[in-house]
Amino acid sequence: MSLLEVNDVVAGYGAGPDILTGVSVTIDEGTSYCIVGPNGAGKSTLLRAIVGILEPRSGDIEFQGKKVNGLRPDQMLEAGVCFVPQDPSLFPTMTVKENLMMGGYLVRDRELLRKRLDLVYEAFPALADRHSQSAGTLSGGEQQMVALGRSLMIEPKVLMIDEPSLGLAPMIADLIFERIRGFGALGITVVLVEQNAVKGLQSADWGIVLDLGSKEFEGPADGILADPRIRELYLGKQLARKEHLL
Amino acid sequence: MIDLVQVLILGLLLGGVYALMASGLTLLFGVMRIVNLAHAALILIAAYITFVLFDSLALDPIVAVLITMPVMFGLGVGLYLLLFPRIEGTHRYVEMTVLLTFGLALIVEGLLAFIFTGIFRQTRPDYVMDAIVIPIGEDQLFIPTGQLYAMVVSLVLLAGLWAFLQLTRTGRAIRATTQNRAAAQIVGINVRRVSALAFGVGLALAGASGSLVSFIFPFFPSKHWQWIALMLALIVLGGMGSIKGAVLGALILAVASAFVQDAFGATWSPIAFYLALFLILLVRPQGLFGAKLRL
Repeated sequence: MSLLEVNDVVAGYGAGPDILTGVSVTIDEGTSYCIVGPNGAGKSTLLRAIVGILEPRSGDIEFQGKKVNGLRPDQMLEAGVCFVPQDPSLFPTMTVKENLMMGGYLVRDRELLRKRLDLVYEAFPALADRHSQSAGTLSGGEQQMVALGRSLMIEPKVLMIDEPSLGLAPMIADLIFERIRGFGALGITVVLVEQNAVKGLQSADWGIVLDLGSKEFEGPADGILADPRIRELYLGKQLARKEHLL
Repeated sequence: MIDLVQVLILGLLLGGVYALMASGLTLLFGVMRIVNLAHAALILIAAYITFVLFDSLALDPIVAVLITMPVMFGLGVGLYLLLFPRIEGTHRYVEMTVLLTFGLALIVEGLLAFIFTGIFRQTRPDYVMDAIVIPIGEDQLFIPTGQLYAMVVSLVLLAGLWAFLQLTRTGRAIRATTQNRAAAQIVGINVRRVSALAFGVGLALAGASGSLVSFIFPFFPSKHWQWIALMLALIVLGGMGSIKGAVLGALILAVASAFVQDAFGATWSPIAFYLALFLILLVRPQGLFGAKLRL
């Protein structure tokens, strides 16, 4: 059975136009996904609609067979859907450790939280070194690590990550992608939105191409990377430029 | 010399009470970005409740804190749920809170004037007329007992607030919401519920302040305009949203105005208040402990 089912979702902001014009996506347990597409395709909006930050104007979202649209983000998190937004959204004057512990706000078992904290420090040793530093003073890459580490504190079933490589140096971005690939082993189903289509698709099993608010294509990630037609149409300029650089 | 110490003591005593009055206001701004212009009017409600209890049952105003705090907490949660979800997520939310709470202040003032008329009221427990006299050589220091009690109760409540925010799970949720509302949502905090709670806590602090000021300042229904101006000055100085800042701001401004009052007379003391505010903001526009504002 699919873990998460998005059915013909239409969504937009305030009184503005529809950003998503009817998107249907199925997320299966144990597969990792990367959503790609040009700027303004609605990739981030789709994640926000799923995690409850933005209520869909129409359509259904089902998680583990239950209808979840209209639920608040904290209720979605309780159900097992966690979100890491584009800007890492940390608590700037709290320390790294406090930020990570806030990630486990819904977990009452302190012992379990301590264990998970150790795991996060293992995955991101840089954070262990800076555990008592306030989060607002970290570099962009370290902030992203805190945001990812924070999401591990709750061990979600599905983790939605929005543009983790945004604004990061390539080496740091590579490290972040490597860690994200490792999340699958923890039983976390990762759904990644990525502007950097090559890196994103390389880190995922399945690719979903969005354009103008609806799904244009989906298939195995390596297939999309290899298909010249899709690259030309939806990822064209960006991929061409990337390859030129390589 | 001894005169200066005396003035300093009076300033600090008053500052402690100002700090309590302003702590609720700054909490509401910090957590919910609500500029609560009705805060002083709500303090007045608590002062009038205290007055009625004192007048009819001879209940001590400090004991009345035990009643005004829960009553105002309940009122706060109710008011929040009734009024604020309507404007949440609207364009220009902060400006809307100013209009909304301005209207609320007018309504409260009108109701209080209708019920209690415009007569000056004050509770007069025995200790209000007392003072502790400390002989120092030839001279004497006076510590007015009522203000001392009010200051001590204020500090105890502020310490309690600090402990609540730092040590409890709900307190952590309130602090997290203050720092980053979006992030608070992401880690599973129900920000609507936390906001309602914080509004209740803010008004509970207003409730305690109302009981305490009932025997320090004579009050009447339109008195709150004077108080709100003063409290806004305090929290702007301290950095809006920072409770530490509100406490420090209150102490600084109360002491400054006490010294000016001593040197130039009572007429000049409110001016000193705002002059000190202007001067400090020239140097530090975000206030003493304020983060740069992102509205």
